[in-house]
Amino acid sequence: MSILVDENTRLIIQGITGREGTFHCEQMQQYGTKVVAGVTPGKGGETVLGVPVFNTVREAMEQTDANTSVLFVPALYTADGVYEALEAGLPTVITIAEHVPVHDMMGVYHMARAKGARVIGPNSFGVISPGKSKAGFMAHRIFRPGKVGLMSRSATNCYETVFMMSNAGIGQSTCVGVGGDMIPGSTFRDLLPLFEADDETKAIVMIGEIGGSEEELAAEYIGSHVTKPVVALIAGKNAPKGKSMGHAGAIVAADGTGSAENKEKALRAAGVHIAETTGGIVEILKSLDL
Amino acid sequence: MDLMEYRAQALFDRYGIPCNVGRVIGSLEELEGLRDSLAYPAVIKAQVKTGGRGKAGGVRFAENYEEAVAATRAILGMNIKGHIVRKLMISEKRSVTREFYLSVMLDRGTKCPVFIFSPEGGMDIEMLAKEQPEKIFRAVVDPRIGAQGYTANYFASKAGLTKPQTKQLAALLRALYRLFIEKNCLLCEINPLAINDEGGLIALDGKVSVDDSALVRLPDIAAAEAEEPVDPLVKEAADFNFLYIPCEPSGDIAVVSNGSGMIMSCIDHIAKYGMTVRASLDLGGGATADRIREAVRIILADPAIRYLFINIFGGITRCSEVALGIKGAIEEYGIASPIIVRFEGTNKEIALETIKPLKNVIYADGLISGVKALCDMKTGGDLK
Repeated sequence: MSILVDENTRLIIQGITGREGTFHCEQMQQYGTKVVAGVTPGKGGETVLGVPVFNTVREAMEQTDANTSVLFVPALYTADGVYEALEAGLPTVITIAEHVPVHDMMGVYHMARAKGARVIGPNSFGVISPGKSKAGFMAHRIFRPGKVGLMSRSATNCYETVFMMSNAGIGQSTCVGVGGDMIPGSTFRDLLPLFEADDETKAIVMIGEIGGSEEELAAEYIGSHVTKPVVALIAGKNAPKGKSMGHAGAIVAADGTGSAENKEKALRAAGVHIAETTGGIVEILKSLDL
Repeated sequence: MDLMEYRAQALFDRYGIPCNVGRVIGSLEELEGLRDSLAYPAVIKAQVKTGGRGKAGGVRFAENYEEAVAATRAILGMNIKGHIVRKLMISEKRSVTREFYLSVMLDRGTKCPVFIFSPEGGMDIEMLAKEQPEKIFRAVVDPRIGAQGYTANYFASKAGLTKPQTKQLAALLRALYRLFIEKNCLLCEINPLAINDEGGLIALDGKVSVDDSALVRLPDIAAAEAEEPVDPLVKEAADFNFLYIPCEPSGDIAVVSNGSGMIMSCIDHIAKYGMTVRASLDLGGGATADRIREAVRIILADPAIRYLFINIFGGITRCSEVALGIKGAIEEYGIASPIIVRFEGTNKEIALETIKPLKNVIYADGLISGVKALCDMKTGGDLK
């Protein structure tokens, strides 16, 4: 098992002919991801690294058995690309770009729900199920197959945690880059049921940060629906107030909404183990005896 | 990005929202130029991107030109929570009978716009939310249908508005919503929304916050913003595509890393050891040696920064490039401040060879060891 991507993932890369698209196509192929099609408008008929390129997602869907798409597309074209993938019927769409306008994501978020599809990102490293497949740009060498499902708003904090986990012999079932924006395509709350239902996942790590209310909403769900142990870290506790910390979503409002204190309190009440540092996550995982 | 009040008022005006558009001045000479066209009593307001200017003395009234001069003299150059006042807005003081609060913002829970209304206007909404939450009314907007009349009816009923006022509120909600959508706003706030002597609604003060990621689509706002003064280090960093964030003015440590999440984690770890970060610089992904050299120079340009911690978890960013950049900064700019470096990931081994001969660079194997080294250095004596 694992979630979202695995050995059965047949991937479309939107923006495959771009510099990043081509580079990461090769990285993903080397990792074992089945890349079945690329899409770049106007470049239909070409091939990139042995992958056929189509003008539209619709044509790629007609001529291949793709079931997932990843977008290496600039921020201002991201919503258009995600809409195209959703309209063509893809159930899972992963988007990488940083600085996607939040009003664009408002549209994407609601359309994905109307279609019953899942959008991951933006401002995300993608999704990796170690040893099986990856869709995104994460440095895959640090990941190891295993039993811990991980989801993170930050790429660097996720890498740091995974690196220490792998060194400690604790592998991962799937790692999802939820992304650092104000409106993620999928929230912690949306992903929890997938990890809960996944046989391979024995524990869940959630790397949150200040800003918004996703950790609180996740806590509500965990309290009533999640039986697996959950370990959480909230980054940005000591960030200056009222300043967006690089991630558009990481900002504490003047009334304290989005503060680390509120989040930790809600998570503790739901029985979640709170780690103070990335290293602390690994210590807690060790003590869980998975 | 928050817009100045006068720019918010200008947007309200353009969208047909009745408001109290004023004249903007930056000097006494400019006030002199308006001498014959001002209406009294006048209200003179500091234009700064922070709240609490009334309490700080940044809002004054004038009954005549002499008083306007005195107010201008008092407010220009004033420091309000670290913001120096460079512009004032002077407008006619309107007499009003009632004040409300109205805004539309992005609701991060529902991922929809939400209208917020209170019959108690004029005060800080966060304060009101804390003290009288029962006086705040919310109406989430389905983005497929936008602002509708029933929302105006709901708010009007809570405030006891007359029928013509309700009709005016409905038009105002639609206009405010159109502004919110078309200008990719995170917040459009009218506080207070007042009833004037004729019984009509008027926006007396406003705040508009625009999504930074959408600025490329909003050339009018981007051009106006480019005229506003910014912190020179923030600006210089931005020119190299780095994000410089001034943190606690009392701190003496700077943090450089290759991602927002890691910057936050570093600040948290440093705080755990009782130390304070003064500024941070986010390299983003894939920075090259020549850019990193400039990053080191920029972050150390503030003389109050005495220690630098560079924490790199290299994926797209190559540790070897960062090491060359640090070496370059030391050699070219003669930097002598202690620099603690932590490398992990892509090309770590090459990077370690590069920094080995550098005297003021201390290597730490791991985030925690880096923070501990910082702590030892601070307690064990100053190298600078």
